Amino acid sequence: MAAKQKPQKKPAKRRPARKRAPASLTDSLAEAAWADADLALAQALCDFDEIARAEGARARADALEMLLLSLMRAARKRGLSRLGEAGACVAFDPDLHELTGKPADKIEIVAPGVRRGDEVLVRARVRKAP
Amino acid sequence: MTDAPEAWTLCIDFGTAFSKAAAAPNDAWVRFDPAELRPLALGAREEGGNPFLLESAVFVDDDRILFGPAAIGRAEALAPRKRTALRSFKTLLSVSDLDRALNTAAPGSIDPHRMFVMRDLVVFYLAYLLQAVDRAVAVDPDLANAPLERRYAAPAWRGGDSAGLHDVVVRLFGEADALREVVGEQLAPGKGVSLKAAPGALAAARARPRDLDMGLVFEATAAAAYTSIGLQDSAAHMIVVDIGAGTTDIAALARRGNRLEELPEARVTLKQAGDFLDRVIANRALEATPWARSQAHKTALWNALMRNMRDIKENVFLDGRAMLRFEGRTINVTLKEIERMPDFKDFVKDLTQAYDDSLAVVRATALAADRHEIQAVAVGGGAAAPFIQALIRRGSTRKVDIVARPATPDWAHARAFRGNLAPVFPQLAIAIGGALAPRDMLAVDVED
Repeated sequence: MAAKQKPQKKPAKRRPARKRAPASLTDSLAEAAWADADLALAQALCDFDEIARAEGARARADALEMLLLSLMRAARKRGLSRLGEAGACVAFDPDLHELTGKPADKIEIVAPGVRRGDEVLVRARVRKAP
Repeated sequence: MTDAPEAWTLCIDFGTAFSKAAAAPNDAWVRFDPAELRPLALGAREEGGNPFLLESAVFVDDDRILFGPAAIGRAEALAPRKRTALRSFKTLLSVSDLDRALNTAAPGSIDPHRMFVMRDLVVFYLAYLLQAVDRAVAVDPDLANAPLERRYAAPAWRGGDSAGLHDVVVRLFGEADALREVVGEQLAPGKGVSLKAAPGALAAARARPRDLDMGLVFEATAAAAYTSIGLQDSAAHMIVVDIGAGTTDIAALARRGNRLEELPEARVTLKQAGDFLDRVIANRALEATPWARSQAHKTALWNALMRNMRDIKENVFLDGRAMLRFEGRTINVTLKEIERMPDFKDFVKDLTQAYDDSLAVVRATALAADRHEIQAVAVGGGAAAPFIQALIRRGSTRKVDIVARPATPDWAHARAFRGNLAPVFPQLAIAIGGALAPRDMLAVDVED
């Protein structure tokens, strides 16, 4: 803060609306989001290694559960969220659903998709509703 | 004839653990374009971590004063010698008797040389923070040469004398700005200010502080500002629940004329917050581990839990369960178990009562103004927890509708940021909201 600046009473002329934030900013934001996600992914990797060495059904189930929780943390830190709920029956939407088998108006979600904001990264896997 | 550069607003947010800053064009709240937001990368790239979070930490070493990540690193290295860094500036700046708190000698664990009062260390930290802000501004082509209106975000002062305490804080900023000129590059990341030079530099800064214009925006107002983007005409009444590390604050705001003002009679502060929840979860984990019998074993487990608590808490509240590996065993904690803990139940009961009392105030104010909608938003580290989300969805009546707003607004997902703002938004929310808030929303304006 090198010098005292009096605020302007009237806003100066505006630039045209931007479509994208500066690359340096989005890079830094990505770096920040990844800094946290990296830790969660590293944890997931360790948990996976533990699964490989786990003996007994209980230990294997625990290790698999830890792997899932770490992956969910990593996904959240990258702004990813689930799209749909497994087992839910909804109307088919080709933008949101990936249907295997015969076309159907009413479908059941087999595996939720993944979205980031309004961007669908992976469509939910669905099948014809029973 | 050339156009004058666009004027921008810059807001600094002191967090208990981290400081953040963001900038936005002066009229961004009414003519909003998310791509114009500027969260500022205050941290140095070479120091790693999240560049938007600047650790609120000062460490008095043998021969110099360290700041930020360097202070944290050194404090951790010397922890066995019972040396600690000064942290939690936010807590210090919001006590009722600020003057007394600032003039208290720093404890021996923080300042073994017995050279400084708390005020000195706060001024040093603010100088480091201002230096980081200026460094971030200088590399942004839109901000570097723009007129900047500055403000900082703070909790509403307990004593109610916002203007008086604001003057003290601005004076500290002024001294910090003067201090920067004296110590210069010693404030750069990873360096440190020589202890020999410190007393003289502080005296010079105190004798000739810079005259800074800074506004004050209350944190609840900052939350209201980013929440009400696009709702300028409809969001006349709001209730904000801020669950921080040390306190949970509930605040209500109402539009009076052109101003969005806090309703002081609706303000409630609870001492149970994030740290309290950490202890509840850790206690539950200890209960679930009868094999940890000795005190040393329990202490080791407690420390492991606290080291991993951020992840554990996230998994418990957002996924319904968390797991921790400790000495080759797995410890499970579920949300259902936490919800059965007496301490947790007491907290939720107190919080619900406090929220309902605040809501009654804002509901009456809304009805008196013939408004029938109240926006509710939760901010802070625990905002996404199910019990907080359930809280802000309660209270609708036939006459007044309560509309729960998302902790991360939809525009934070704007493609302008290529998906990278939303994940870090909760941490930057108050700085961004403070930069967006129109001047009418300020608790103390620069010209007051």
